[in-house]
Order: sequence, then structure tokens, then C-alpha cells
Amino acid sequence: MHNVVIVGAGPAGLSAALAAAAAGAPVLLLDSNQRLGGQYWRNSSEPIESQKDQHFDLDTGMLLMNAVKARKEISVWNGAQIWSASHKDGVNTLRVLHQGGEKIINTANLVLCTGAYDRTLPFPGWDIPGVMTPGGVQSLIKGHGVLAGNKVVVAGSGPFLLPVAAGIIKAGGQVVELLEANKSKRWLLSPLTLLENITKLKEAFYYIKTISQGKVRARFGVAVIAAHKGVDGKLESVDVATIKRNFKVKKTRNVKCDVAAIGWGFTADTSLAGALGCKLKVARDKGVVAEADSNQQSSIPGIFVAGELTGIGGAELSMAEGVIAGISAAKFVGCKVEISRAHKKRRAKKQRFADALIRSYPVKSGWLTWLKNETTVCRCEEVSVGNLKYAIEELGATDSRTAKLFTRCGMGLCQGRVCGRSVVDLVAAELNISPTDTDRISAVNRPIISPIPLGVLAAGE
Amino acid sequence: MQSNIEFTFDGQKMLALPGQSVGAALLAANQRTLRTTRFNENERGVFCGIGICFDCLVVINGVGNQRACLIEVTAGMNVQTQVGSHA
Ligand SMILES: Cc1cc2nc3c(=O)[nH]c(=O)nc-3n(C[C@H](O)[C@H](O)[C@H](O)COP(=O)(O)OP(=O)(O)OC[C@H]3O[C@@H](n4cnc5c(N)ncnc54)[C@H](O)[C@@H]3O)c2cc1C
Ligand code: FES
Repeated sequence: MHNVVIVGAGPAGLSAALAAAAAGAPVLLLDSNQRLGGQYWRNSSEPIESQKDQHFDLDTGMLLMNAVKARKEISVWNGAQIWSASHKDGVNTLRVLHQGGEKIINTANLVLCTGAYDRTLPFPGWDIPGVMTPGGVQSLIKGHGVLAGNKVVVAGSGPFLLPVAAGIIKAGGQVVELLEANKSKRWLLSPLTLLENITKLKEAFYYIKTISQGKVRARFGVAVIAAHKGVDGKLESVDVATIKRNFKVKKTRNVKCDVAAIGWGFTADTSLAGALGCKLKVARDKGVVAEADSNQQSSIPGIFVAGELTGIGGAELSMAEGVIAGISAAKFVGCKVEISRAHKKRRAKKQRFADALIRSYPVKSGWLTWLKNETTVCRCEEVSVGNLKYAIEELGATDSRTAKLFTRCGMGLCQGRVCGRSVVDLVAAELNISPTDTDRISAVNRPIISPIPLGVLAAGE
Repeated sequence: MQSNIEFTFDGQKMLALPGQSVGAALLAANQRTLRTTRFNENERGVFCGIGICFDCLVVINGVGNQRACLIEVTAGMNVQTQVGSHA
């Protein structure tokens, strides 16, 4: 029997590995991280039992991680970065950097659980050292035991801001402001979903308890719209604005801080799925995700997709999808196993919660009014708002793809992972049009999954 | 508490805990600037923390464009601020 190859060892990948192994399939589980757990259960090299206070539910994570390590059908490659991939005649070829060398995997069967990363919006000063993503601040604490700074402003939108603020306080840092751009009332849009997913409410209260111990109160309808550096070139303060429902500024004040953690939810990491040719689509939050059928199969037979890669919905939905993807993959390699109705019911319930999240934390176009001509948009290639406007007004670009070619916006090392989504919105607003799905999908086209410095490959051989 | 690992940053002696990334160990020492940009020579440091943004680029043992937030510190590692694209 062939191996089921699974990429990503977060909630989705761990669940998929266990489900496939339980069905009798041999599994190879790969992750670029040094440890299992993905983003949600990110952990450090300290004994894992000592890390529980940085987590709402590390017990479930430990259960899955220990089960994966214990099962003889599952081989794990940690520190394995897939840097390039292609699909031809039913065979997927993955080029993997592992233990200082390159390994090539050819397989007909793949489960992609590559997760997501923080969505960011450009604003004046967002490239000053000290402005970070909430996920970045959290990963430094969970993965390395390091607080990024002493006085932190946590801002943006989405429920993820709560665990980040709580984590900073538990690690001994000070959260000077916790700012949610949307109004808290938006949750009333989905009362039944809230009741049905009561563990999610418990999770929120768990974080809110810690946050109130840190003597911070969350403010709603407030956003960070600019950052300023001091004479040392480091972040010194941010401009905090009360905003309207459409995100346009009402009134501004200045707040001193040494770190600003600002994020607007998540963007799926479709790099690997895209390179293999899996069909991508635009989700309700306008983010690009991998398309999946009811068995979590992508548009390519034999390639299954699960977790945040198929749409942002949190760890529990990722697990529910992972189980189904693992079973489907085992079936594909010949195991006698079926997806039960209970599995699909569980996924549907978590999906309703994910849909409610998207309704509750929209990103409204008023953020575009926070930008100035000199604001950097593409951090890699140092392209400003003014450069993009010039490409449109003077060079005649009529869509984001052309504007990109004129300015190199989104064509640096990160390949538009950071700015791509915002550029599509910015260019469309400038042209007074609505972005098409093709605009959005073409913005995530990345020939290389992760650029590897020349010296690294050479040194490994 | 585990014992510290020694490495250097721009020739200066630094300490890291086992398993810590270069970026985390440098932030712990309040060292926020990891590189300067190619065109405007702006200072940049850790931004996404998970290997997505390529803003934390440093030169490690002579090889440039390495992500400080991903690479674990090893004993004796020679880390340098990256200036421009380190061609
Ligand atoms: C920084 C960060 C922190 C988060 N923290 C929380 C939190 O505290 N609470 C919460 O509810 N939600 C959190 N989330 C949301 C989170 O993404 C989900 O809840 C959950 O982790 C999704 O599970 P997943 O299995 O889909 O993906 P992930 O957990 O993101 O796992 C994906 C894995 O795939 C690996 N991978 C991706 N591409 C490759 C490649 N090319 N080669 C090798 N490996 C690869 C990654 O290293 C990663 O470990 C966080 C997200 C981010 C980005
Ligand atoms: S901080 Fe983003 S890649 Fe290292």
C-alpha cells in the first residue's frame, strides 16, 4: 500500500494523520516547524506540561501529538520545508529541505493542511520595527518564551486578538490597549450559532478573565491607523482612532507603546495547493482558499485539503475537516473505510460557527482612507501607495496584475503573501471598480513555495 | 531552566536558550533591527514571526537572505545584520 503523505502538523494535519493511520494506511507527516502542533498548539522546547497556561486547550493538542508519535504507521518529518512542488499525470512531486539536504517525494496521494497566516493591512508606519502581527507576537511567546516588548497595543479585528492579549499578560507583559475595530454587537447577528458552539464561548471567557486581570478593557470601534518611530528608529507610539462602521476615522489620539500587534483575521496559505494546480476560489471574506468537495478532495483526484487552507474557521473546524480528509485519503490508497454521518454533522456545525465569525468581523473599505501617498504597500520591494497610483494614472494600468508589473509590487521574496490581498483592493478602489475573482486568485500565484537562499541548497549537498 | 547557547550578532556576544530562533533571541536582547532595505535603507525586524513575510532577513555564517524567525540558534553561529539584498 502507498503512503498517505500529509503536509502540515496543525489541528487539521494531526487529525488527518490519525484518521488515515486508524484506517490502516501508512502515513508520512511533514512540517517545516521543529515540533508538532501547527499554529494553534505551537510549543517550545521546554517540557510541554509547563506550557499549559499559554493555551486554552493544550490537553487536546497533547492527546493528538502523543497519539501521532505513538502510532507506528505514522512517520514524522519535522523541520521539513517543501520549497517547490508540481503535479503531472497523477503524480505529485514535492521538493523538501530536510536535515540539511534536499529530498524528493513522488506520490499520487496527498493531504494538504498548510493552514493560514495573519492578514495585515498597510497603514502609515507599519514597516517600523516593533509593528508586528498578533500571530508573530504570540509565536514568540509560545514557541520561544520571548516577549516582543513591554508595552503592547493589540489591535485589528477578530477573536484571535483575545488569546494574543491574554498570552502577553500571562507572560508578564503589559497590554496598554486592546482594540477591536468592529462593534461587539455584531455577534447578535448569530445567536443560535453561538449557543450551539458553547465551547467557543467558554474559550472567549477564559481569555477575557486573564485580560481583565491585566487591567485592560477591550474597546470596540477603535483601530490603530498610524505608527511613529522615535529618534532611535524604533516604534514609539501609535495613532488610535475611533472609527465609523465603514472604518472611516472619527477622532484620533496618540498612545505610547514599544510593540503594536495588529491583525485582521487570517489568510489561507494556498502556496502549495496553488503550485500543484488545485483549483482555488474566493471565500466569503474575499480571501482565496483551496476548493474542496464534501470528502475534502481538491479539484485534483488524490489531493485532499483540510483546515484553514479551505477557509478560515478555527482549530475545531480544522480538526473536523482533517478527520474527513484522512479517511478519504486512506480510502484512496485502498483502505476499507467510510466517512460517517457524524463526521459530516460535526463539520457542518463548526462551519456554521466559522460563517458567523466572518459576519461578525468584516474588514470595511474605509481602511483605504488611512493611507498616505508615501505609505509603503509592498514591504519587500518598497512600493508605496504613490507608486501604485502613478502606475494607474500615468502608466495606464487597468488592473492589479498590470499595476504589479509596472511597480514590482508583490513580486519580492514573500511573493505577495503580505500585500497581495490589499493591493487588489487598493488598485480596484483607485480605478473605481470591484475586483474580480480572477484578480484575487492571480494575486496568490506563486511559482516557488518558499524561496531558498542559494547557499543553503549548495551547503546541504 | 536550560543552559544558554552562545552566538554572535555583528561580532557581539549573544545568548540564546536551546530551541530559540535567531529572531527571538535577538528580540530578547532588545535587538530589533535585523536588516536595512535595499532602496530606502529603512530598518526592518521581525514582523510575522512565522516565516511568511521575509522581513527578518539576516546573514548567517556568510549566507544571506535567511529568515531569523525560523532558524534555530546553534552554538558559535555568526549572525550579521543584512544590508540591502546581500548580493
Ligand atoms: C501565528 C498564528 C497563531 C494562531 N494562534 C491561534 C490561537 O491562539 N487560537 C486560535 O483559536 N487560533 C489561532 N490561530 C488560527 C489557526 O490558524 C487555527 O486555529 C489552526 O491552527 C488551524 O489549523 P490548521 O491545521 O489548518 O493549520 P496550522 O495550525 O496553521 O498548521 C499548518 C502547518 O503547515 C505547515 N506548513 C505550511 N506550509 C508548509 C510547507 N510548504 N512545508 C512544510 N510545512 C508547511 C506549517 O508549518 C504549519 O505547522 C493562529 C494562526 C496563526 C497564523
Ligand atoms: S518575521 Fe516574517 S519571515 Fe521572519
